[in-house]
Amino acid sequence: MNVLEVKNLSVQYPGTEGASEIVKDISFTVEEGGITGIVGQSGSGKSTAMLAVMGLLDGRASVQYGQITVNGKAPAPGRNIAMIFQDSLSCLNPSVKIGRQITETVRTRKGCGRKEAAARAEELLETVGIRNPALRMRQYPFELSGGMRQRVVLAIALACEPDLIIADEPTTALDAVVQAQILQLLRRIVRETGTALLLVSHDMGVTAAMCRNVYVMHGGRIIEEGTAEDIFYDPSEEYTKQLLKDAKGGRLREKEKRNADDPESGEEALIRMTHVTKIFDADEGVRDVSLEIRKSEILALVGESGSGKTTAARILTGMLREDAGRLYYRGRIPQRGRRMDSFGGKVQMVFQDPYASLNPCLTVRQALSEALDAAVRLGGHDAGDADARVAGHPLSEQEKEERIRKILALTGLSYGDADRYPHAFSGGQRQRIGIARALITEPEVLVCDEAISSLDATTREQILELLFRVQRKIGFACLFISHDMHVVRRISDRIAVMYGGQIVETGRTKKVCSDPWHPYTKLLLEAVPEPDPVRAKKIKSGPVKEAAGTDQSDAAEACCPFAGRCGYALECCRRERPEQYAFGDRGVSCFLYSDEHSGRRSGAYRMTSQI
Amino acid sequence: MARYTCRRILTGLLSLFVLITVTFFLVRIIPGSPFQRGGVSESVVEAIEQEYGLNEPLFTQYLSYIGGVLHGDLGISYQDPAVRVTEVIARAWPVTASVGAAALIVSLILGTGLGILSAVSGRRSVKQVISAGGMIAAGIPGFAAAILLMLVFSVKLKLLPASGLLSPVHYILPVAALSLYPAAMVSRLVSSTLETELTKDYVLFARAKGLGRRQVIFTHALKNAYLPVINYIGPASASLLTGSFVVESIFTIPGLGREFVGSITNRDYTLILGLTVFMGAVVILVNLITDLLCAWLDPKTRRAYREERA
Amino acid sequence: MLKRIRQQWKTYMGGSRMAAAGCIVLAVWILLAVMVPLVSPWSYSAQDAQIRNQGVSLLHWFGTDRFGRDLFTRVWYGAGISLTVGIASALINGAIGVLYGAVSGFAGRHMDLILMRIADIISAIPSMLYVILLTLVMGAGIGSMILGLCVAGWIGMARMVRGEILKLKEMEYAYAARMEGIRPLRILLRHLLPNAAGTIIVNLIFLVPQAIFTEAFLSFLGVGIEAPAASLGTIIQEARSQMMLYPQQMVFPLLVLCVMLLALNMAGTAAEQKAGGRMETVRGREDR
Repeated sequence: MNVLEVKNLSVQYPGTEGASEIVKDISFTVEEGGITGIVGQSGSGKSTAMLAVMGLLDGRASVQYGQITVNGKAPAPGRNIAMIFQDSLSCLNPSVKIGRQITETVRTRKGCGRKEAAARAEELLETVGIRNPALRMRQYPFELSGGMRQRVVLAIALACEPDLIIADEPTTALDAVVQAQILQLLRRIVRETGTALLLVSHDMGVTAAMCRNVYVMHGGRIIEEGTAEDIFYDPSEEYTKQLLKDAKGGRLREKEKRNADDPESGEEALIRMTHVTKIFDADEGVRDVSLEIRKSEILALVGESGSGKTTAARILTGMLREDAGRLYYRGRIPQRGRRMDSFGGKVQMVFQDPYASLNPCLTVRQALSEALDAAVRLGGHDAGDADARVAGHPLSEQEKEERIRKILALTGLSYGDADRYPHAFSGGQRQRIGIARALITEPEVLVCDEAISSLDATTREQILELLFRVQRKIGFACLFISHDMHVVRRISDRIAVMYGGQIVETGRTKKVCSDPWHPYTKLLLEAVPEPDPVRAKKIKSGPVKEAAGTDQSDAAEACCPFAGRCGYALECCRRERPEQYAFGDRGVSCFLYSDEHSGRRSGAYRMTSQI
Repeated sequence: MARYTCRRILTGLLSLFVLITVTFFLVRIIPGSPFQRGGVSESVVEAIEQEYGLNEPLFTQYLSYIGGVLHGDLGISYQDPAVRVTEVIARAWPVTASVGAAALIVSLILGTGLGILSAVSGRRSVKQVISAGGMIAAGIPGFAAAILLMLVFSVKLKLLPASGLLSPVHYILPVAALSLYPAAMVSRLVSSTLETELTKDYVLFARAKGLGRRQVIFTHALKNAYLPVINYIGPASASLLTGSFVVESIFTIPGLGREFVGSITNRDYTLILGLTVFMGAVVILVNLITDLLCAWLDPKTRRAYREERA
Repeated sequence: MLKRIRQQWKTYMGGSRMAAAGCIVLAVWILLAVMVPLVSPWSYSAQDAQIRNQGVSLLHWFGTDRFGRDLFTRVWYGAGISLTVGIASALINGAIGVLYGAVSGFAGRHMDLILMRIADIISAIPSMLYVILLTLVMGAGIGSMILGLCVAGWIGMARMVRGEILKLKEMEYAYAARMEGIRPLRILLRHLLPNAAGTIIVNLIFLVPQAIFTEAFLSFLGVGIEAPAASLGTIIQEARSQMMLYPQQMVFPLLVLCVMLLALNMAGTAAEQKAGGRMETVRGREDR
């Protein structure tokens, strides 16, 4: 028995050059009590198709279909069909309290009174796993964490008591650990209420973890359909195969034998941060962070959003000033106020948003030669000196041209692109330009702040490979910041895991990933679903509790930041902060590894995972 | 928020003080004596100047003026020694404020209504008519509108009275002339912000959860769209409440604006000074209220305020 | 150069019927303002008691005023003065505003606070006062009028540019530029200001009608340009005493003024829609 039947759905938008067809004659069904997935890259028309099913497209779109029925009836939003969206912050009204946003739904659906609706709303919030619903109902959306907001959105969808919920990228905006929780919740809801779920996602892992039947969408068409096992183990279409390949990721590490595999960790640290603290009014900040980036290594800094990764990077590059702590560059302390200058352009950054990181008024050539000129002006490392200017002799036009040509070729752009403005490029190409701009000055340290996370899977792979290849070729040191464990484990030599503004674990990537010591690292590793239905369905959200609330800034001073969510939390975790315990080239900030808890051992004792 | 409020009030007071100082010296550097007119002898001028304390050093005059302001005294009119500046304000301001308040209400209602209509109307013609009307209303100067209204409605058609403020009917033309520009601005702001709000995800989500179109517009979108309007209407209401120079003098309304124009033609420096200070004070006060209101309307800052008090 | 102008034109005006209409009207107005006083058989200032207060005729297209001056010539002469005052003060105000706003936004912190408070104070005083003061010091004329409009007229522009610079300063490319070691002044001139160009140009266009408007209203109140020179405001003011008897003496200059302002506003609005909008509306305007 099918809940949703869609036959021959097409959507067109009138454009300046004739109508463009976004959705091309697609048909699909969702069976009762099950989870069906639609997977495809951004721009494949998934969201448009879903809005067309809901009947919520604006007047400009022209929709044709043979049949759209929910249990034999026409779809009525808020009655027999409900939808949840990707960004929970933007789909809750920022100036209306949570309670009101739920109760108005209940009242529209049932036509009941205020009191009854409020009671029902509390019940719903409990169903979606929110403790203390009475308090939450009085709060505004911004006061809730991302995971909690998505639960509220789900509660609103449930308030409609629909036969079918369409979930459009419900976990894309969330961190891996929270994503795992929400996915589990969705599964539980389907099981308990019998509501069917149509899960739309670009993430093969999420789709594999959740769905019984899968449709693959590309360019507005459904190109392949079948059970999850069929699609993931035996795809017939070339496109699906490519998607799967990108999702699994090529083997970057094996392709080139790393020079850093020999364990001589006595290598020179280019940049070292010791006990750096920076606190903002809001809680995002860093506390007592020590970090070093060694010559020609890729150090990954991984953690969920708000864990302080970006703050750490910005202190490192001199964009922000630390409240306390020291920063050494080649063993010296650069001038605090003019750190950017003292680096002499030898620290460069690739930013997350390729649309904001290029000056729209400059052509590629102009942007690159700006960087070159500045680098020449700075000359040596001491920009303050008057003779530094003499030291760096100005480049001739030919030399400049040559450098620009070389860097464009290196980053996979054509020389003809040099005279175009940024708006003429796609996101992936822009990111290449960003990398070219950062590398043309031949920096010693490159900081990549979530440099690939705004790109889609295929482009992401390309850029990742580019970065890796260039790094191996030139040998600059790289601080690679990401929230994605999968990416990080493939590209980095060493890894530092951040949580709540602290570094909870550091070590060689191979070791950390194969044998995580800190409970949070373990959680992170387990939370990411792989594009493999059997393995992905086993993802755990771990023994995690929902964080007590967003307001833990006072308590954070005195306890382990992870204590509130940790399944292994001890008495002392809530009382004091663990220091970093070092074991060889690994370090971990958890009481499980302290002398008192692991027992005193001799010098030859080899620490193993305690969890 | 409490600290923000205090700081905001303090800067307001400081601005007012600097305003008084600057205006005082500006008015004083105007060359020539205010009493110098044809047929008045040198000795008479000096005698009058002595009476007003104008022969004292400038700084002493300034100090005594500041002292007066602190006691709520803005001095005596140069034109008519029997009249205090505060009396002029007490007489003229209620008149101005009543016209200004009426214009404010009219422009808010008209502007909001047209703005919503333009944003939610599916027909392009409605949108175009409203935006064209708005551009004309905002484009022609207030005095031109006032004169044209007067020429059409009281000179040609003889429908409405052209001067004075005797009955409610007298209010129609000046209020219409005054509210034209703010109404156009409000309607433009409402329609543009509402249009952007309506494209946001929460509107889509509200529709997806089964709310009606009207409910989504009025209980959800409008709530978020109104903040820029308040930001505009604050300063605009300040200028409405302190009186329009032209509209008051065209329709001969005995309000602050006309007093100001009169004081300028008469070179009545204390009155100029006093009125400027008063208008400045109103503007600063209204801006203060607007800023605090905007901060209060944002749930984020409000929550911070509450927590501070707790 | 010509190519560049054409390109800029396309960016801000291209493809908009409103812009085209505004610019055509404006061109006609400028042409008339230049040509009419030159070729007209009548002088804008010579009085003739024989032909006082005449109606519209073939000889006098707009009639004559109470001193027997040909209104058609006078109105277009006045329109020329108004346009001159408007464009000149808009350019000066624009330059001051961009400079002030850029410095304030780029310097930030205390400097920004002090500069913006100074701007607040200056804008709190009615500009009438400045104009009176200047006319008393320099004599009533076009020069003192332009200067008077420039005392406080730049503040809206300064606020806007400051807001833009504050926003652009936080863009990632600005950080990238700082990291490359580019000097602050160069960052401001090459990376920030060009990206604020849209806002600046749109505001510059709107400054012209604003200045014309303020000038007209001051002249209308009797503060400003004095005889024999005349702007549209003064012509309207002169007709006021007999508006009940000879309304046409007022209607013609009024219409010429309104159409001129509308055309300028249309051009501005078109540019605004193209360039993506003024970031915030100017707080209030001098409409008193």
